[in-house]
Amino acid sequence: MVKKILSSKSPVKLLEKSVKGGLGPGNLGVFASRKGVGKTACLVQIALNRLVEGQGVIHVSYASRVDYIIAWYEEMFKNLATSENLQKAMETHDEIIRRRVIMNFQQGGMDTEQVLKGLEALLVHGNFPARTIIVDGFNFYLPAAADVKLFKQFAVEHQLEFWFSCSLHGDDPLFDEQGIPFILKDYLDSFDIIFTLENEKDRVKVNLVKDHDRLSLKKLNLELDPQTLLLARA
Amino acid sequence: MDKALSRMRNIGISAHIDSGKTTLTERILYYCKKIHRMHEVKGKEGGGATMDFMELERERGITISSATTNVSWQDHSINIIDTPGHVDFTIEVERSLRVLDGAILVLCSVGGVQSQTLTVDKQLKRYKVPILAFINKLDRVGANPFKVKDQIINKLGRRAALLQIPIGLEDNFRGVIDLVSLQAVYFDGPNGEIVRREEIPAELREEANRYREELLDMISLSSDELAEAILEDKVTPELLHRVLRQATIQREFTPVFIGSAYRNKGIQPLLDGVVNYLPHPGEVENIALDLDHNEQPVVLQADPELPCVAYAFKLEEGPYGQLTYVRIYQGKIRKGDELFNTRSRQKFKVGRLVKMHADHMEDITEALAGDIIALFGVDFASGDTICSPGLNYTLTSIYVPEPVISLAIEPVDKISSDRLSRALSRFTKEDPTFRTYLDPESRQIIIQGMGELHLDVYIERMKREYKVEVVTGQPQVAYREAITARADFDYVHKKQTGGAGQFARVTGYLEPFEGSYEFINEVKGGHIPREFIPSCDRGFQASLKKGQLLGSPIIGVRVVLTDGQFHPVDSSDLAFQLAAQGAFKQAYKKAKPQLLEPIMKVVVETPSEYSGHVFASLNQRRGIIISSVETGVYSTIEAEVPLSEMFGYSSVLRSMTQGKAEFTMEFLKYSRVPQNLAEELMEEHRQEIEKEKGK
Repeated sequence: MVKKILSSKSPVKLLEKSVKGGLGPGNLGVFASRKGVGKTACLVQIALNRLVEGQGVIHVSYASRVDYIIAWYEEMFKNLATSENLQKAMETHDEIIRRRVIMNFQQGGMDTEQVLKGLEALLVHGNFPARTIIVDGFNFYLPAAADVKLFKQFAVEHQLEFWFSCSLHGDDPLFDEQGIPFILKDYLDSFDIIFTLENEKDRVKVNLVKDHDRLSLKKLNLELDPQTLLLARA
Repeated sequence: MDKALSRMRNIGISAHIDSGKTTLTERILYYCKKIHRMHEVKGKEGGGATMDFMELERERGITISSATTNVSWQDHSINIIDTPGHVDFTIEVERSLRVLDGAILVLCSVGGVQSQTLTVDKQLKRYKVPILAFINKLDRVGANPFKVKDQIINKLGRRAALLQIPIGLEDNFRGVIDLVSLQAVYFDGPNGEIVRREEIPAELREEANRYREELLDMISLSSDELAEAILEDKVTPELLHRVLRQATIQREFTPVFIGSAYRNKGIQPLLDGVVNYLPHPGEVENIALDLDHNEQPVVLQADPELPCVAYAFKLEEGPYGQLTYVRIYQGKIRKGDELFNTRSRQKFKVGRLVKMHADHMEDITEALAGDIIALFGVDFASGDTICSPGLNYTLTSIYVPEPVISLAIEPVDKISSDRLSRALSRFTKEDPTFRTYLDPESRQIIIQGMGELHLDVYIERMKREYKVEVVTGQPQVAYREAITARADFDYVHKKQTGGAGQFARVTGYLEPFEGSYEFINEVKGGHIPREFIPSCDRGFQASLKKGQLLGSPIIGVRVVLTDGQFHPVDSSDLAFQLAAQGAFKQAYKKAKPQLLEPIMKVVVETPSEYSGHVFASLNQRRGIIISSVETGVYSTIEAEVPLSEMFGYSSVLRSMTQGKAEFTMEFLKYSRVPQNLAEELMEEHRQEIEKEKGK
């Protein structure tokens, strides 16, 4: 078991510490931004953090091909290993692959019930010990309130934490005065944590707009490194 | 350009298992009027399709051996090389691909691009084979050629477009609309042999125009002339044919045909496609290596007047002796010619020369460049190059993977034992991935191959073709040993027992190495005379054959020789070899050796409702699940599983999923055996050795 490899001051830990008690089992969190700002990078870092601590992760993707997702993990792991000066990086790498499964659901015609059935097959029948589920590419612009409720129910039932990405599009403004993306207002009850990523003078800043029962915009002291896309102190 | 050459095609038919390849081949033979009655694959009427002439294949309903057959269509001579579909037999597929100029990639209109299709497609790309795609089984429930065409684009990454669209689908599939000539094509008569061309039905006109636009869009990227003609609305079928041919041969574009071989629909237009769009032998560049000039590449010309260069790609033992299938790349072969085998360095005289038509043959007196024929009465191994005397060329040897599994076999009686050696020598000549040796310790015959099924097939062939009954042991995984740390050695080999003594000393170190083995000589000042350096190398290499953990071959070692000592009288080649072996033995344990096992890439395709069971079964087998791709009805699960855990998986999978799932597996890499298992294996090995000693 590889544990506590990342120092407690590592930015990805700071990100989770910025939230009261982390996300926690039974809860849903989301990163929202326009396309290409860095949502997937954030999700993959959260996943890697769990993986190096010895936990299982299932990465659910709706759009990307499996090899693209694997490439994301490889790239982010390489960057993380360099920036955190990981010892025995190759061994850690081989270890974490054992604890990660990528599930790819092809877009269109795939309903959430089927996705959850697939997850259940892996978790329960396949006995795969994951506690964190990453969901990348879910389309919140379709009427999806019922689907998000299903995810929430599933998270509670199996004591899992779910991290989503939410791709924003359309004309400005995309956020209300509290910094909450308009599109996510329909789903506020289901999400416990909402982060937004904001492009500011060529830097990508991280904001916390919902923290469990508190709704208020908090600009975090974190940004994405433009080269490595790793979270870093601003 | 020689007219005969431009009217020649060498094609293969590649596919995922069960996509209807054999039925398609058989229909092609029928329409080319070579056989008079059609059979179905599974041998319901005791006939079996014509290409599958090996009994075993007939029983399994799959094609294992690559037979070749010659047919004529539209005044063209087409050699069809039937390629096997299962991953366990990839060496056969690859050897066949070597001699093809073009191929038909068959896809099922329901299953679409499946894992095996990806493998076959990769092979076609590796050998740069231009292809036509044929979407088969349009009469099946759930047929969707449009979806499959999209998969060819998205999953195989090919630029492709439909050349035809269906008239009706599933039960209602009646014919196709040809988007090049803009005609409806129907297949009449009891066996679809009468092709009737008519106007496009009014209700399909709009759809036909839409897909023709798509075709023109795709193909216009390959030709400015066509792009202009489209703008001016002056596209003629002749121009379109020409551009399609050019783009297909240059592998910029994949034309997609559709039909149902089983229902006798769409085969004749596909054959027209072979003639129209796939290259003749003169349009494909083939390269040989000149052994007299440092293996310099030489481009071969499909010219019958030049000296002969040919390639033996397949051996078969028939009732009249050994048959060698040969592709002629340059020159010609005539009865009575004297030719030269560049591997065995032997001259031979061409005796009987035949052209193969599925299971009957026709005697011929000469064959020209580009053609595929068979020779009788010559002793070749597959992969040999044949030249006219004076040339010393070899066609690039194809990549041969190392076997990953072995099996001990024992003939039940003396008669079987004699026949067995004949069978084994035949199989090893036919298939370089099939190997055999006598284990000096257990005195057992060991056969090695690429997977369980691969060896099963040969055991079956022994029974059927050679009437050999054998008892088999448990399949054994080909383990390897590797070192993980650097270790020094300093070893003196000294022997003085009267007569000439032996003396040699070697100093240096072993260290882990990425490749398989490397020897570096850093000895200075002549402490080991130059002539004994290769002796040291040989000694170390001999040590690699058997590791100390499990007696498995050792890989990933670099030996650095830094110093040594010799004696002017007592040092010899043997002394240094033995010193090197002693040194290796001394250092090996210190270099922290570990056991490696073959890891297979396993891809399971299963109806989604069973995916949980499949996950569980892979987990139980120490598998790492890499990904699962869900398409709604089907899940494709990819995992990395140790080979030792995969024995019998096909029957487990079958019973778990009511036969609805299938899997493919291929060798991926060697990886460390977990400590507890390694210890178990080593303990077993120790006990075996004890037992042997006790005997």
